[in-house]
Amino acid sequence: MNSKTLKILSTATYGFGIGGDAWERGMGWSPDAIVAQGTTSDGGPAYLGTDNPSGASMMIKEDLTTILLSAKQKNIPFILSCGSPAGSNVELERALDIVNEIAQKNEIHLRVAVIPGELEKDYVIDKIRSGTPIRRLANNDALLEFLSEEEVSRSKRIVAQMGPEPIMAALDLDVDGVITGRSLDVGLYMALPLKMGFDKALAAHMGKTSECSSLICEPQSYDPVFATLAEDHFLVRPTNESARCTVNSVVSHNFYERSDPVREENPGGILDTSHAVYEQYDSETVKISGSQWIPVSPYTLKIEGVSHVGYRTICVCGVRDPILINCIDGFLGETRKAVEKRMSPLVAGRDYELIFRVYGKDGVLGDVEPVIQTMSHELGIIIEAVAADEARADSVCQIAVDYMAHMGYPGRLATAANVAFAYSPREHRLGSVYRYNIWHLLELEDPCEPFNIQVRDFPKEQ
Amino acid sequence: MKSSKDHKTKLHELVTVLRSKNAGPFLTTFDLFFDDKKLYQRVKNSGVLSKALISRLYKLNEQEVEGIYFVDSVKGIKITIAKPANMTSGDSHCRDLFGAQQHPPLMDIEIP
Repeated sequence: MNSKTLKILSTATYGFGIGGDAWERGMGWSPDAIVAQGTTSDGGPAYLGTDNPSGASMMIKEDLTTILLSAKQKNIPFILSCGSPAGSNVELERALDIVNEIAQKNEIHLRVAVIPGELEKDYVIDKIRSGTPIRRLANNDALLEFLSEEEVSRSKRIVAQMGPEPIMAALDLDVDGVITGRSLDVGLYMALPLKMGFDKALAAHMGKTSECSSLICEPQSYDPVFATLAEDHFLVRPTNESARCTVNSVVSHNFYERSDPVREENPGGILDTSHAVYEQYDSETVKISGSQWIPVSPYTLKIEGVSHVGYRTICVCGVRDPILINCIDGFLGETRKAVEKRMSPLVAGRDYELIFRVYGKDGVLGDVEPVIQTMSHELGIIIEAVAADEARADSVCQIAVDYMAHMGYPGRLATAANVAFAYSPREHRLGSVYRYNIWHLLELEDPCEPFNIQVRDFPKEQ
Repeated sequence: MKSSKDHKTKLHELVTVLRSKNAGPFLTTFDLFFDDKKLYQRVKNSGVLSKALISRLYKLNEQEVEGIYFVDSVKGIKITIAKPANMTSGDSHCRDLFGAQQHPPLMDIEIP
């Protein structure tokens, strides 16, 4: 095991644009595998809720072509999560349609182990009924402390962040590569190293460092990064010739999007980097060692689920009159009262929501905004209604729009109309609003139990 | 005339990075990085970054300040707070999907 190393070319499947010189350079270093993640909850709950994802783009097709052809040519495995961004089954199937097109167009055969990441609601309900406590992962009143059957029934769709174990099982099969739906990013990276007997902490830390490609480099880009895992350390470097990894750039990224800078809960254990040593190995490479893995029992998987909140209708307008800008809070307060009066007996907050986003004042920070008095000469306002059905959302929005257009305010001179509507029509339906109602930990005895590994050939039989 | 003892600096003048981002849909996390070890120590030792201050700036209960972490080895400070329950990522009252523009209230914190 002394000189055993594992080289991973790391990229992403979101369609950021990954080919070119940097890719060629990385492939020239003879990676043992290509690993890429393409699922996230960053985009918010709507992507997990939708039945009609916006459709995998041309860019995803280009990037998947680069990955799959390179892997096939060099006879190395690919381990990818696809179905950007939420990794639902419908998104995964769209990505696999692209894989099919790529295989057809390039006249190659790909045998892929496909592991969907979605969970059936009944599966989760059965777990609850059998007495498994499913505890929330974040302390937030928006989440039930322990998941209930009703909350699961209420959800639209649930995915799980599979660990490395199902991927390891898939790699045992005679396949060219593995494509999952939603999965744990780090798990994609841990699978091959664990199969080969590398240290679990280093494998996990290597995954955490590599998963966002060249966001760990200076300057940042979407080019791949190259990691070399050894027995007691790993190295990471950019593929872009004009970039470098520095201790600062790598560590700064270890903080990124993490609630705790040095401890991260993973399935089966905690990755603890509090004693990790980061060294500048050469001008562009960082060497990392000293990562620790603290086993935790029982094994848990993070599950994510969304529920439907309602439908949203908005109107976009601007205000330029300084007299109105000066009393905008009072004016919006009167607008709200007018809506409440006309919508009665329906009650704001319970039966509908009316929201004003006032850009130029506090649209971004809301009541946390430290600037009390806006100095803007112009405000951008989104008038927004959310309700259980589209007709009601339309009505709430329209009442607010009609009031704001013409009703008076103290000292008004511009009596023709109060706002500059951006568009005709004034109101626009934005579709469904979702929220994350499941962000919980599912205890499992068998890490592979919820997942179904399918071996699929591309191109498909006609 | 101000004595050197009275000289306070705003936090944004001392850092090389001061940012916010979601740590999942329910938490907002702030990262501060320093190039200069002395500046990092000055901020850390001042005790100014406390749960009391953060909860006041972000209009939270102190329990909703999940943690304030000082990582000496990398001269980094991380602060994590809970999002209001009706303002989790993508929910109807969410103002900032990525949580990436929530840092300004930290910028003008005075450090002795």
